[in-house]
Amino acid sequence: MFAFTVARRYLFSNPLQTVLLVAGVALGVTVFIFITALIAGLAVLLTDQVTGNSAHVTLDPPTRVARVLPGAQPIESVALVSTVQRRQIRDWPRIEGLLRAEPSVIAISPQITGSGFLVRGEAVAQVEVIGLEPQGIDAITPISSKIISGSNALGADGLLIGERLAQELGLYAGQVVLLRTERNAERQLTVKGIYRTGLQSLDERVAFLSLQTARPLFDLPEGVTKIEIKLNNPTTAREEADFLAEATGLRAISWQDKNLDLEGALKSQGQTGTLIQIFSLISIVIGVASALVLSAYRRRPEVGIMRAFGIPSGFIAWIFLLQGLLIGLAGAAIGCATGYGLCTWLAGLTRADGTAALPIAPEQGGYVAAIVLTTLGAVIASVLPARAASRIDPLEAIQQ
Amino acid sequence: MTRLLEARGIEKTFHNGDEDTQVLKGIDLDLEPGEMVALLGASGSGKSTLLSIVGLLLRPSAGTLTISGQAIDGLSEKERSHFRNTRLGFVFQFHHLLPDFTALENVAFPAAAPAGGLSRQMRERASELLGRVGLSDRADFGANRLSGGQKQRVAIARALMNAPDLVIADEPTGNLDRESADRVLDLMREVNKADGATFLICTHDESVAERCTRRITLLDGRVS
Repeated sequence: MFAFTVARRYLFSNPLQTVLLVAGVALGVTVFIFITALIAGLAVLLTDQVTGNSAHVTLDPPTRVARVLPGAQPIESVALVSTVQRRQIRDWPRIEGLLRAEPSVIAISPQITGSGFLVRGEAVAQVEVIGLEPQGIDAITPISSKIISGSNALGADGLLIGERLAQELGLYAGQVVLLRTERNAERQLTVKGIYRTGLQSLDERVAFLSLQTARPLFDLPEGVTKIEIKLNNPTTAREEADFLAEATGLRAISWQDKNLDLEGALKSQGQTGTLIQIFSLISIVIGVASALVLSAYRRRPEVGIMRAFGIPSGFIAWIFLLQGLLIGLAGAAIGCATGYGLCTWLAGLTRADGTAALPIAPEQGGYVAAIVLTTLGAVIASVLPARAASRIDPLEAIQQ
Repeated sequence: MTRLLEARGIEKTFHNGDEDTQVLKGIDLDLEPGEMVALLGASGSGKSTLLSIVGLLLRPSAGTLTISGQAIDGLSEKERSHFRNTRLGFVFQFHHLLPDFTALENVAFPAAAPAGGLSRQMRERASELLGRVGLSDRADFGANRLSGGQKQRVAIARALMNAPDLVIADEPTGNLDRESADRVLDLMREVNKADGATFLICTHDESVAERCTRRITLLDGRVS
């Protein structure tokens, strides 16, 4: 294509200007990729932090509503809803078996939860009590690896509490403390271990004990109050929750629905990133357009001669469109390479405690979008100069 | 024998706000094939305007124009462009060569651009034309490495690339020293004689007019 040859020659005729132009585009693309990778990394980090220590789907007993009883009598019978009876999942072993057959489910934790008070002498602290199967203690929240004192062996009378709660009550591993529950049951338990997760809500207010220990304390000889589930892909939690609700007849709540604020924050963060990306693209378009407008003006006499010789205006427009395309492609390719390099380097930086300094995801830099949008933007930017060049009056240009 | 060019009652008026300036006031002009005609006139007499109209770079306000038997008046802008490319050649006072291309590529450009590429035949034709203007050894030189006279000779070769019916030259030696100007004029005369190419040369230089086969003088927008 001869227009391509002319476009290439025009670009190479002023190497410094071309290099600066491509560098400008590449810089814009680098910013685009950095922002995309950072926003994606932040989203992954926040999601991991939330989903790493909590259930992806929680199964609760269904909300009880009054229902019409079937019968042949003309007067309809209505079942009473008890407000005294505990809400519980009685047939949880069957549901657990059902969940184990689900390939997307990777961990199941039947639990008895409730509130209570830990009493040690004059000191009293309100706690949220979680009774779970000792072998599945890490199924939802990885507590074992967070133990800073004692062990995770709950046993028949064991209790695990957070560091802040231990400090509040002046407790150490091995000490005995009284647990009084909302059911007015109480029992002396031994603090077997103290954990530190870094999450205030856990470290300050949650006490773990075994399911069997929790049963008499919460007056639940058979059932559990909820079943927490982890999935192999947390992003599918909403769909899985819908499916499990239908399959089990229980109320299924996804982690997204429990953290609507987080979802809103992630959305806002994404929108901010999109705005920055748009501004990067606009700066690329303006840069390319202004350079090509100048180039078209500088080459008016040459273009005028081409027009005088009857060279089709489409050919002349192509020369400038192809310049935009080449600048866009080169800038996008270089920008992608430098953006990836920068993000990879930043992702490797760590703080003193070994954690990543920046939550950046180099593999999620939006490279294809960057190449496509930049190239498209550069071509769009060259439309105006291409149009102007193709409409140059040969007579006016030659006499210039 | 068909006339190469037939212009009848050519008028041109330029509008500038409320003011109208009539530059051409009913020009009749005939050119026979193989002629080399000098178009003379003082500055402002309308010779460049007439040349632009004949070269299809400007539309007349009135009058008819026929070149090589083709009535020009009804042609669209696209058709006029195509006609310029295939039937006319141009030599301007300022050569306006493409600086990023070699002498050979500049010569071949009017054929290569519409065709979408530089074919072997185009290279041979351009090479032959460069030989005729005495620049065979400069074929691969960039346009910026040529002297003023050499550039104008390349421009002449470029004008001849598509074997035009009519070559229109606007002050072709106006920007050259005497020696270079003589060489360019000799070359044009030689091409005119050897190929029978028709030249219409706009000039105010008497020495240029002396080398032409005929002269037409414009005075205040009319043929005197």
